[in-house]
Amino acid sequence: MEFLSLLDITFFLLAALGALVGIIFGAIPGMTATMAVAVCLPLTYALGLNHGLALLLGLYVGGISGGMVPAVLLNIPGTPSSITTTFDGYPMAQKGQGERALKVCVIASLVGGLISAIVLFLFAPILADFSIKFSYVEKFLIIFLALTVIASLSSNMLVGIFSGVIGVWLSLVGTYSISDGGNGKTRLMFDFMEPYLFEGFSLLPVLIGIFGISTILLEAEKGVKSGLTNEKIKIGKGAGFSLSVFKGRLTNLVRSSFIGTFVGMLPGVGGSAASVLAYTQERNLSRDSSEMGKGAPQGLIASESANNALTGGALIPLLSLGIPGDSTTAVLIGAFTLQGVQVGPLFIPENADTWYVMMTALVFANFVMFFLMFYAIKYIAKVIMVPKHILFPIIVMMCVVGAYAINYGIMFDVWTLLIFGVLGYLVQKVGLEVAPLIIGFILGSSAEVYFVKTLESFGTLSIFFTKSPIAVVLWILILASVAFSIVMRLKSRRELKADLPASRLNKEELS
Amino acid sequence: MKFSKTISVFGSAVLMASLAAGASIASAADGPLRGNIRVVIGSTSTGGDTYQNSSIVVDKLAERLDLNMKVDAVGATAAFRALDRDSRGNTLMIFHDQSYLGYLYGVEGYDNIFEKYTVGPTVAINPGNAYLVPKDSPYQNMTDVMDAVGNGETVRVAIQPGGVSEIGFSAMKNAVSIEHPGMEDNLVAVNTGSQADKNQQLFDGQADVINGSVQANEQYTRLPEDDQKAMRFVWLTARNGTIEQAPEDGMGQTDREQLLEFVEPNVTVTMGDSENFTFDKEFFFLYNKDMDPAIVEQIDTALEEIYAEGEIQEIQKNSFFIPNFKPSDEAAAYLKDKMTRYEGIINNIQ
Amino acid sequence: MESGLSTLLSVSIDFETSHLFFPRIIHWLLACLFLLVLVFRVIPFLAAVRRGEHSLPIIGESMDVLRFFGTLALIAAYFYLMAAIGNLFPYTGYGFLFVSMAFVLLMSLLYMHERTRKNLGIAVVNAIVAPSLAWFVLAKLFNITLP
Repeated sequence: MEFLSLLDITFFLLAALGALVGIIFGAIPGMTATMAVAVCLPLTYALGLNHGLALLLGLYVGGISGGMVPAVLLNIPGTPSSITTTFDGYPMAQKGQGERALKVCVIASLVGGLISAIVLFLFAPILADFSIKFSYVEKFLIIFLALTVIASLSSNMLVGIFSGVIGVWLSLVGTYSISDGGNGKTRLMFDFMEPYLFEGFSLLPVLIGIFGISTILLEAEKGVKSGLTNEKIKIGKGAGFSLSVFKGRLTNLVRSSFIGTFVGMLPGVGGSAASVLAYTQERNLSRDSSEMGKGAPQGLIASESANNALTGGALIPLLSLGIPGDSTTAVLIGAFTLQGVQVGPLFIPENADTWYVMMTALVFANFVMFFLMFYAIKYIAKVIMVPKHILFPIIVMMCVVGAYAINYGIMFDVWTLLIFGVLGYLVQKVGLEVAPLIIGFILGSSAEVYFVKTLESFGTLSIFFTKSPIAVVLWILILASVAFSIVMRLKSRRELKADLPASRLNKEELS
Repeated sequence: MKFSKTISVFGSAVLMASLAAGASIASAADGPLRGNIRVVIGSTSTGGDTYQNSSIVVDKLAERLDLNMKVDAVGATAAFRALDRDSRGNTLMIFHDQSYLGYLYGVEGYDNIFEKYTVGPTVAINPGNAYLVPKDSPYQNMTDVMDAVGNGETVRVAIQPGGVSEIGFSAMKNAVSIEHPGMEDNLVAVNTGSQADKNQQLFDGQADVINGSVQANEQYTRLPEDDQKAMRFVWLTARNGTIEQAPEDGMGQTDREQLLEFVEPNVTVTMGDSENFTFDKEFFFLYNKDMDPAIVEQIDTALEEIYAEGEIQEIQKNSFFIPNFKPSDEAAAYLKDKMTRYEGIINNIQ
Repeated sequence: MESGLSTLLSVSIDFETSHLFFPRIIHWLLACLFLLVLVFRVIPFLAAVRRGEHSLPIIGESMDVLRFFGTLALIAAYFYLMAAIGNLFPYTGYGFLFVSMAFVLLMSLLYMHERTRKNLGIAVVNAIVAPSLAWFVLAKLFNITLP
């Protein structure tokens, strides 16, 4: 218990400050947890390892949680992993339940964060050994499983899959990156585009372009009518929040937290896959998922508990293999190297004090996040009362900062905002679906790497079925996921006997 | 009416702000380098060696020159492009041997740095480039690996293609072609990505040897043999003289003496003509070709003073970097020679 | 039979052209799906348009031309000028600061329906305060590179 002497007031203040700043970063569209950690990294040199880690872990937890705010209130995912939060959060906000939605999210986040912290604390080395059983084959199958969400998420399966494949296509533009073991050659572009598109489109600008800028374009087209962002939203009115929302949702909460932790610990699968996967599973496994995507709290629970569970999960490979589990922990590694501390399989046994300190900071930051958010929500939710002619220019401006800063200052990322803003507008206008497209984009490039690399090493497609028992289990999950979505579609079709003539997809009604 | 007022308010605000801006620029240092300086690096990671090393150097430089300097991890292609566009000296670049190795391996996005840019001073070496095998591997050392290849066994080496990670592999292939002509094809590259991917190839049994580093893999070499993750160093590509300068404690629990067992002359990979292949990953500045030579001079002088003080060496050694300051002219000639030698190897095995 | 299946499933990828392997699969998928969408969605839809049950997207809909194209033009100008002006003051973030002020103000004016004195005042204050605050916190406090 020697580490207790390392915990002073400053330690807790820094963790709390980190959570606060993180929440603010996460809540601003375009700013992410990764960015928050990156900009504060130099500060940690002066703070020393333990205090530095308190600050950074606070930022990490806060940043991931903060992403829920714009996702629910503005339909813009504040961080890539809160994309599935928009599916149910924004419809709830439109029904006047913004505050309720956020409270559900905060509680789910806390539970997710704590469950993953416990898992990290108790099982990190064992899980690290398990995670290295996932080679290219199994990682491809995980991505594939997450992609099956497209089938159940889309309002029309054919159009949804088509949109998803377009998303995958867009993610392939650029080089087949050397840092993924590719040959570094460009494809899917003309020569004159090469200076700009060499590295392809970055995720964050694409995301905020397609959600943020295109929403503004759709509003502009309608003349930015109402002064308020959404006059229908009555804060505090509508269905109030009570803990009964969570009744019967315990399985969902726990399952999603474990999915988040698990996906977080697989290096290279990507944080956004966690919430997507949790959302898919809730959709497939719950008895009453027909309301999901239209404003069901269960969707929020799945999404937010999974993305906060990511924090503990992503720390597992970092601390027991020396390998970051997601983009934020990749930056976090810098804090260790700056202090000359090695992370690797012997980190925990050799730095027991630091290990306990980190666990304390992680758990504490989760509670601080909870209290800050839970009691501030009433005020945060008022953002939507700001008149649009004030709010929209600020959103555009912050999106610009986020896009420019995400890769440390690349102007093309800012233009990506506009390109995908216009694309997102067109996509919605011609009746394609945004959510599948963006999921295809997020998962597309890792699907490629794992698929091609598997075939390069094994030279046969049969390896996807025969590699390991894990692969077989994943195939069963994939088949189940597809089967569920087909069955559900047939069921809802039978219920909706009044068949609508081949109308275009009912476009998502944007406020 | 309302509009004109709006505009005048706005205009005066802009004017005031720009006056403030002008003042702050004028107050900057009096050398040829002025304003805010951005140092772009060839890596996108802020946890990696390039960033760490660059921030050590840039912090000291900013202090010495009394300028605002900032390291941005934009990645190789973006960094080269940023450098191309700015000849004023507000954009500088720090990168390592990848900058010309990428060109030698014909990777898209890389040009001949000696023609397109001005090569600036070298600042440090990362001596950690290493090759590892599983702890229970039948290959005890590099000689075993070479002999196995010579005897017709297939040996798979996991690397990241097109640069620093591949050069040691190319050297091995070159050595095979000298010692066991005609057997080169038995040494196979497994092209993969990050360190995590390379380790994974080893755990999966898809590679027999992997490229890694002292910093990232040292702990793995201390795991018990029955651990699936346990590894063993077989070769550090650094020069003997480089490791000699490392701190005595080495890295983690592996001290300098132990590290020296894995460099030449204890481990040799021949280059022909009784010369051994070595590779030190060296960090150096790159400048825009049209940048004022006075700035080159200014940075050289400043670095010379910084290195003369001796404090930076301590910081670098603490982070397992070997201080290695060479002023621009010397560095350019040295690196050009280095490139020519590696060009020979790469051409030889094609 | 067994060997026939395994040859069918075996794939060999040349590293030099491996960057085209996956995109080729995606292209085929896209083409097939596009055909299906064409047959099952687009043609029935166009038939419905001809019967007058639906209108074409974008072309057939009413639109606030000024605000829509104004937004597009403003954003494009904003991005372009930010880089251009930023280049005059390298890495100070002034390009972002000044151009954002102009942009925020103009966009506010574009979207404002009732141009009362109060509304204008708020818009002007916002246009000066919001970018300054963002610039100060990010560029100065956190040392983030801005255009």
